[in-house]
Amino acid sequence: MSPRIEKLLAAAVVLVIAIGVGSTYERYRGSALSRVPEAYSPSVARAAVGANAAESSEVDAPADAVPPTRRESVAPASGDALAGNAQELLIYPTLAVGMRTPFDLWRYYGRGVTSFGSPAMPMRFEQWMDFHAKQKPALMADVREYMDGRFDFTGEAIPGAHMSGGKPIMKGPISRLPAGVDSFEELAALSPSEIRERDLFPFKPLAHPLQTTAHMLFPEAWVEAHPEHARIDVDMDIPQAYLPEFPPPMFLTTHKELGDVTGGREVTLDNFFEIFDGLLSPEQMEGLKELLRPSPTTWFNHTDHRVTAEPSRGVACFDCHVNGHTNGAIELGPDSRPNLARLRVDTPTMRGNYNLMQLSSKRSIRSMDHFSEVEEYFDGDPGMQQAIGPRAVKREVTNRMGDMNSILDFPPAPKLDPLMRLIPERATPAELRGEALFHGKAKCSVCHSGPAFVDDYLHDLRVERFYVGRPEGPIKTFPLRGIKDSPPYLHDGRLPTLHDSVEFFNLVLGLQLSPDEKNDLVDYLLCL
Amino acid sequence: MADPVHAEGKTPCPSPTLLRMALGVTYFYFGFLKFFPDLSVAEVLAGHVLTSLSSHSMDARSLLLALAVLECAIGLGFLFNVCLPIVTVLFFLHLCGTFLPLFLLPELTFKFLPFAPTLDGQYIMKNVVFAAAGWTVLSPELRRRYTSE
Repeated sequence: MSPRIEKLLAAAVVLVIAIGVGSTYERYRGSALSRVPEAYSPSVARAAVGANAAESSEVDAPADAVPPTRRESVAPASGDALAGNAQELLIYPTLAVGMRTPFDLWRYYGRGVTSFGSPAMPMRFEQWMDFHAKQKPALMADVREYMDGRFDFTGEAIPGAHMSGGKPIMKGPISRLPAGVDSFEELAALSPSEIRERDLFPFKPLAHPLQTTAHMLFPEAWVEAHPEHARIDVDMDIPQAYLPEFPPPMFLTTHKELGDVTGGREVTLDNFFEIFDGLLSPEQMEGLKELLRPSPTTWFNHTDHRVTAEPSRGVACFDCHVNGHTNGAIELGPDSRPNLARLRVDTPTMRGNYNLMQLSSKRSIRSMDHFSEVEEYFDGDPGMQQAIGPRAVKREVTNRMGDMNSILDFPPAPKLDPLMRLIPERATPAELRGEALFHGKAKCSVCHSGPAFVDDYLHDLRVERFYVGRPEGPIKTFPLRGIKDSPPYLHDGRLPTLHDSVEFFNLVLGLQLSPDEKNDLVDYLLCL
Repeated sequence: MADPVHAEGKTPCPSPTLLRMALGVTYFYFGFLKFFPDLSVAEVLAGHVLTSLSSHSMDARSLLLALAVLECAIGLGFLFNVCLPIVTVLFFLHLCGTFLPLFLLPELTFKFLPFAPTLDGQYIMKNVVFAAAGWTVLSPELRRRYTSE
């Protein structure tokens, strides 16, 4: 073959491959097997990432690349300048279950191959153990480095401030400011778009440290007491000092005279009868038993599809909602797929659920019975039930779980009057100033009002105005009654202290609070 | 060991063109696939190995793009018979990298250690054929060039 013909042949081959692969990709993305949405265009995405954010948010896929009807489904429907900003994001990396995920998952988007989970593992269980024995030390070292980069966890407690059971409350803010910014006031003086363009936002989302498996991740204090929940693959990433007390006190609306009915104990299947017999109704007792009874979950069960060294009996509601409150365990919100798109969620307290019209961060669950039913399988994947066994709780049982749920009370707040205003003679001047700010300049009461300090709506704070990331959408307002007992804050725990929460809302709502005003507001929140 | 390419005489034979072009097509084709997210089936293994090698300091997509550039460059070198000294170095470095999952990720490359590989494991192990083919193609070319110099 002459060199000339050889070169011509090589050029033809290169051309055929380039055109063939390119056109194949055009047809592949958006198809049933593809993780890449139809509107994605690699060239546009590459150009947009790292470009000026305000400009890149307007970059769109070529009009002829996507049928108009499909384009409408991803394009902004509300006129919101930042909705439909997929072109700024990266496509989720291709990973097998158990593999490490980027800590900045908010920068990614895409489809899953399927909505359904599978009990089939990519390797034998012995290999699964070996894989994590190798991966976990390096992963946890990187998790600690990442978290230390975001937060200063070496802080001190607020003098004289305690949770309802006596645990000190940590002082903040501990979120680290970006380089070149000396104070939160300096940051708050910048516009959202400037913060976004210069990548200065200190309150970006927190992902699960291992989001390919994700699932329930218990804090250190819980795992010490319940080693059966120690995971082979990953540990909790927030230090115990910044989490709720364990075990927390438990207050009942039906027996306020008793205060903490547990006497400082963790309520378990072994002791609940002794503690509550004669205090609860038979239906409430039945409901409490169910709340304490472990059930197999996606990754805590008797099969090889698990993250514990030994087969697990599962997890009970009160394993995260210990004593009807929270121990700070995390999971992923069950409302979305792929797994990498699911938001990390803290365990919210069950205290005061009787006064909430909506439950859960994202799913707008309207009744406690429904809440008990849908939480049967926390990952919301009925496909897994064939392998690990359904919980199969009947409607009348979930009703009884709701009965118990509806008497879990908020902790005492002796400085509040029946209309939830501070009693002046019991409050300090700083707390009173904080209350005035709460109902005035700080705008807290716009969403946090009524006996539970909650409006029972979902709000979209559109925090992605401040960073290049996937919008998180509307999230339910959390009740502020008893809030001092439930760190860390926001749905994913990205705000470890009340001070961080005040700084976050000061920035996101553009409140321009002074340092003294922020401290007054924290003093007031400690009274609720 | 007898070298079949050089067995007939003392002077190096021309490299087997079809073998060289086949290597080029394979490298360019499989490398080009990696430019497109989710299109290459090698993404899981390659992404995991590359991010591990970078101590997770870089994202998988950027590393896969770098790998795509490398593989396409090797492929073009083979196809157009250019820059062969550089192609040789890149080719053997790349080949060494392709064997890394056998050591870094035995859980996915072996059904049962040490002699029962998975399909991925077999896919990697058959790269010994690539190594042999590459040597067959490159060594006479390089020898010819350096002998003539």
